[in-house]
Amino acid sequence: MPLANTPTSVPVVVDEDKCIADKGCTVCVDVCPLDVLRISDLTGKAYMKYDECWYCMPCEADCPTNAVTVNIPYLLR
Amino acid sequence: MLERLEKGMDDLRAGLNEVDCDLLVIGGGTAGPMAAYRARKKNPNAKVILLEKANVKRSGAISMGMDGLNNAVIPGHSTPEQYTKEITIANDGICDQAAVYKYAQECYSIIEELDQFGIRFQKDDNGEYDVKKVHHIGTYVLPMPNGDTVKKALYRQLRRARVLISNRYMATRLLTGKSGRAAGAIAVNTRSGEFLVIKAKAVIMCTGAAGRLGLPTSGYMYGTYENPTNSGEGYAMAYHAGAKLANLECFQINPLIKDYNGPACAYVAGPFGGYTANSKNERFIECDYWSGQMMQEFFNELQSGKGPVYLKLNHLHKDTADHIEHILHTVERPSRGRFHEQRGTKYSEQMIEMHISEIGFCSGHSASGVYVDEFARTTVPGLYAAGDMASVPHNYMLGAFTNGAIAGEHAIDFAADVDFEEFDGAAVGIEQERVLAPTKREDGIPPNQIEYKVRRLVNDYLQPPKVTAKYELCQARLAEVREDMEERMMVRDAHELMRSMEVASILDCADMAAHASLYRKESRWGLYHWRTDYPDSSDEEWKCHVLLSKQDGKMACEKKAVQPYIIPIADDEKDAYYKQRITAQA
Amino acid sequence: MVFEPFEEESDFELLEENLGDPDPAVRRVAVMDLADTADPMAVPLIARAVSDESPEVRLQAAIALGEFDGLETATALCQAMQDGDNRVARAASDSLSELKDPEAAPPLLTLTSHEDPKVREGALLGLKQLRRPDALANGIEAMKDPVAAVRIQAVGVVGYLKAEEALPALISCCRDGDPDVRKTAVGALAFSKSSHARDALFAALEDENWAVREIAAEVLGRFPLGDNAQRLIGLLDDSYWQVRVKAVRSLGKLKVTAAIDRIGSQLDEVTSNLRKEAAAALGEIADPAALPYLEKLVDDPDPDVRKNVRWALGQIG
Ligand SMILES: Cc1cc2nc3c(=O)[nH]c(=O)nc-3n(C[C@H](O)[C@H](O)[C@H](O)COP(=O)(O)OP(=O)(O)OC[C@H]3O[C@@H](n4cnc5c(N)ncnc54)[C@H](O)[C@@H]3O)c2cc1C
Ligand code: SF4
Ligand code: SF4
Repeated sequence: MPLANTPTSVPVVVDEDKCIADKGCTVCVDVCPLDVLRISDLTGKAYMKYDECWYCMPCEADCPTNAVTVNIPYLLR
Repeated sequence: MLERLEKGMDDLRAGLNEVDCDLLVIGGGTAGPMAAYRARKKNPNAKVILLEKANVKRSGAISMGMDGLNNAVIPGHSTPEQYTKEITIANDGICDQAAVYKYAQECYSIIEELDQFGIRFQKDDNGEYDVKKVHHIGTYVLPMPNGDTVKKALYRQLRRARVLISNRYMATRLLTGKSGRAAGAIAVNTRSGEFLVIKAKAVIMCTGAAGRLGLPTSGYMYGTYENPTNSGEGYAMAYHAGAKLANLECFQINPLIKDYNGPACAYVAGPFGGYTANSKNERFIECDYWSGQMMQEFFNELQSGKGPVYLKLNHLHKDTADHIEHILHTVERPSRGRFHEQRGTKYSEQMIEMHISEIGFCSGHSASGVYVDEFARTTVPGLYAAGDMASVPHNYMLGAFTNGAIAGEHAIDFAADVDFEEFDGAAVGIEQERVLAPTKREDGIPPNQIEYKVRRLVNDYLQPPKVTAKYELCQARLAEVREDMEERMMVRDAHELMRSMEVASILDCADMAAHASLYRKESRWGLYHWRTDYPDSSDEEWKCHVLLSKQDGKMACEKKAVQPYIIPIADDEKDAYYKQRITAQA
Repeated sequence: MVFEPFEEESDFELLEENLGDPDPAVRRVAVMDLADTADPMAVPLIARAVSDESPEVRLQAAIALGEFDGLETATALCQAMQDGDNRVARAASDSLSELKDPEAAPPLLTLTSHEDPKVREGALLGLKQLRRPDALANGIEAMKDPVAAVRIQAVGVVGYLKAEEALPALISCCRDGDPDVRKTAVGALAFSKSSHARDALFAALEDENWAVREIAAEVLGRFPLGDNAQRLIGLLDDSYWQVRVKAVRSLGKLKVTAAIDRIGSQLDEVTSNLRKEAAAALGEIADPAALPYLEKLVDDPDPDVRKNVRWALGQIG
């Protein structure tokens, strides 16, 4: 059975202009308990790779540049 | 600096590493860090490893902090005897008091230690702990309006105590020796799939609740009450290692803010005059204790014409309501503020709709868990458990810290007296094969679909009221899903591999929940174990623990007598409780 | 393949090198990594970053210092608190409030009369947690500060020290022009059992601000009132119910038998919170004179009220 690509809108967004992952910061990726954030190979910036979020906010609170915004996942809103 | 970006982070890699230590602590949330820290303090020469599936800095139920201690026994406000009595009554008498009493005696020293760590509790204008009254008899709530410093402070202490921290390793199975003693654990790196075998003289499990058992009503798989990282491995590992688990039929079900699925925090709002009301603005909860009785009343009201149920603060002065709102929106689950903003709800203006959570296992809020005694020892020698996954009832955060400390100190002494336990080397290969099986398939079902199905079945069939016929159907369906999981589950990277291992734990927990519930042929603990086929409680037959364990490869249950009370409960005290007992209304 | 399963040991040399990197973002990451070590060896390095030319790096340093304690940390934070960038100054005062080590006090003591009120406020907040008796004079002095936020922290320092000799100063703050100062000062009187403190609390029962009256009523619950209980009973006429709740509670705690009838009259209140507290208070007083009031309420529509009534009836026997 082939797999489908079912889209979901992710709750966590990163402001790429503020993110300094390309300078060595990995804080949000490090702290996320669900391990759903990654640094993009393409842009060198953080992004949400998996839509498996507890909207708990360490990623936002610990980001040194305020680049992360945690929104409430659409299904709960 | 680009080397830190770890290209191909989730790519599966083959690897097996072996380390040894005196003490292995699994789970670096609340109980785990305290256990590891106290063990190193007690024996500075010991090698202590703290293994964590996420990152100790921000893992577990208290990742963002906590609103307050729910069960602080502070001299001058309450006594250990009083506390033990209340917990015994709240658990309908099924309570081994020794562990509760020990907790109650030691927890104050833990508060003082946490205070020294820099964790901030609410103090009055003279710098004394500002304990609030919520419970009817004793006074146990100590708010932490600046509780966001908890994990930071713990992490600092762990670094200074030189505990060896292994982040992003998920334990999947315990190793036991020829004599049945704990010998260590097997873990898998969640970003590479590499294996780590940890040999240890003693093991403490602190992996938290089984938070991904039921499906939240929002349908969002990770919108759970508990931190969804806690997917129940502790229960599954203990089970497969031969440990006994107590009263798993006493589910955790909590009152919470609907859809957001976070705590409504009667504990925070109560001392200010906030309360839970029905749609007629009236209080309806008769029960004095946070218990299954209370949840039964909550459930009845939801089902009645007077539902839904609300958190009511809008009768308070706007300053008071705003102050509560501020606390609730900044510390424990800070995204709560965003949720309400989007909905346009203000605590000072509207009542806030509440609901009940999905089911789970969690001693922190109820009483189920791996069976432990007052030293946090499980029934497997050398294996300890503390926090939400251990059977000490109504533990909450301070219980996790306190029992973690007790476990750490006892286990490190135990480790000093023993040598490494020999274990069967083949166990590692067998586990590697089990874990990696889904990576070997080219085609199949992804773990998220299997997980969804298990949890949907849990909601459909296992959520109380518990109906025997539905339970039996559920067992049959779960067996089919298990076959899918074992034969057809497929994963493509290390992250999915972690999810696939979680599915196995969730399924094990679902099976245990069903099995234990069917065994106890009575109703008890209000909504937590409401069996429609056996609506009454039977103290003659069932005023005992139910212990579940693996016997000859299969799930089995047995009765175990409640330990004689240390703090006797007078008849009229019991009566007060029985009078309050509200019966179920279907 | 063998891989390292443990968090790496801190490489201070590399971090120090990065701290000198021309790119401020790299310096910033280095500061964060230094904080993560939790190793006091990191303090002098982070302290250097407090003087960095980039405000972002200075901000990170002020946050990072919150992980540490002691004199060196406090000195660096005191510098950061005087930073021209508001965010840095605010972060520094947050970090200062985390200090626990009494040794950290000296630099703070020099700042309680600084020209910038934010600095004075931050210094006092830090000192409060340290509970150093030698901060008492600074606290008392700062109670006269022109800025209310500073006076609040000053009262905090003095309140935590629980020093009888500061009582006159505390009492005068109970008449401060700012209600939040009055609130804090009234709360801080709880430690004293003197008649002066008690009289100040009685005076506060007539404060124009309800929150001040509320806390005064609460604190009085810890004072042996004797013949003076009448003053507290008078508060049961207060216009705001949240104040009456506290008065009822305190009267219950103090077992003021003379208050039974007045508490009993609160049982007719529409606000169920008040009925509930009144029932509980009558239970605490445990005098048969309360029976008629309680019996009327056995069937109250509010279950919490009923529970407290049952409990109270049980207390009376
Ligand atoms: C939303 C919420 C609000 C609460 N509010 C309060 C409150 O106000 N007051 C109060 O006293 N209590 C409160 N509690 C309860 C309290 O937080 C918990 O009882 C306590 O924190 C549990 O501690 P623990 O160590 O058992 O679990 P946790 O702190 O959850 O830690 C478990 C750890 O184990 C790790 N782990 C899980 N599986 C594995 C594995 N296979 N391998 C390795 N590691 C693993 C997890 O990542 C996690 O770090 C609340 C709980 C929740 C969820
Ligand atoms: S924490 Fe912030 S700056 Fe760092 S990688 Fe994440 S988004 Fe970028
Ligand atoms: S909100 Fe929590 S779960 Fe979601 S991405 Fe941030 S840290 Fe991870």
